[in-house]
Amino acid sequence: MINLGRSGFLKNNKDRAGAIIIKIPSEIKLLRNVSSEILESLAPYKMEDAALFDIRLCIEEAVRNAIVHGNNCDKNRDVEVSYVVEHDKLIIEVADQGKGFDHKHLPDPTVEDNITRNNGRGVYLIKRLMDIVEYNESGNRLKMVKYLK
Amino acid sequence: MAVKTEQKNGLAVCHVEGEIDINTAPDIKKAFDKLIGKKEPRVVINLAKVTYVDSSGLATLVEILKNMRSYGGKMKLSNMSPKIKSLFEITKLEKLFDIAVSEEDAISKFV
Repeated sequence: MINLGRSGFLKNNKDRAGAIIIKIPSEIKLLRNVSSEILESLAPYKMEDAALFDIRLCIEEAVRNAIVHGNNCDKNRDVEVSYVVEHDKLIIEVADQGKGFDHKHLPDPTVEDNITRNNGRGVYLIKRLMDIVEYNESGNRLKMVKYLK
Repeated sequence: MAVKTEQKNGLAVCHVEGEIDINTAPDIKKAFDKLIGKKEPRVVINLAKVTYVDSSGLATLVEILKNMRSYGGKMKLSNMSPKIKSLFEITKLEKLFDIAVSEEDAISKFV
C-alpha cells in the first residue's frame, strides 16, 4: 500500500492480483501525488505526452470525484486507488467510502441546457478518454482501463 | 500558475501560464475578477503556456465567460495546444467559446 497521506509515510503493498494500492485521505492537494505515482510507473512504455495527459486527467478527475462527491471532503475518509499494468493494459480502480451515486443517469454536459454548467464534465471526460469505464452497482468504485499500445 | 495582463490595440490580452485545474482555479478566477470588476469590454486569453486543464479549469473558463457576457463583455481564447483544444472539442465547449489560432488572429477579429 502506498500511503500519501497525513504522515507522508510511503509503504508499498500489492493485492493478490499484483495491483499496487495507494490510500489517501480526502484532500484535493494529494491528487497530483496519485497521478504522478501512476504515470511514473508507465515510464517503461515510452508513451506519448498526449496519452499521458489523458491518463493523468482521468486519474485526477476520478480521485477528485471520490474525494468531493464520494467522501464529501471528509479527511477522515480515505480514497483507495489501485493500479496494475497487465497485457499492455493499464487498469486503475478508484474507490471511496461514500454511498455511491446514480452513475447510470448522468446528464450530458455537452447539450445546450448543460453546456454552461459548472460541473458534470469529469465523468464525461473519463468515459471519452479511457478505453473501458465501469462502475460497481452503487457507484462508489470506478474501474478504468487504458490500452497502452 | 500566473496571469499577466497587458493592453494591446485597446483591448486586454491575458497570458496564462501553468496549469488550470482544481488547485489553481480559484487564483485564475481571482485574476479575472479584476478585469470583470472593471467591466473590461474585450479580452483575449492567450493559453500558449498552459500545459494542463481539467474539468475544474474548463468550468472556471466557462464562469469567466458567463461573467463577462453578463455586462456585454467579449472574450476570445487563443494559442491552445492541440491537446487542450481536443478537450474543448470533446466537451463541445468549442461552440461556446470563440477560439482563435493565434493572439494576433484574436486581436484582428476584435479590431
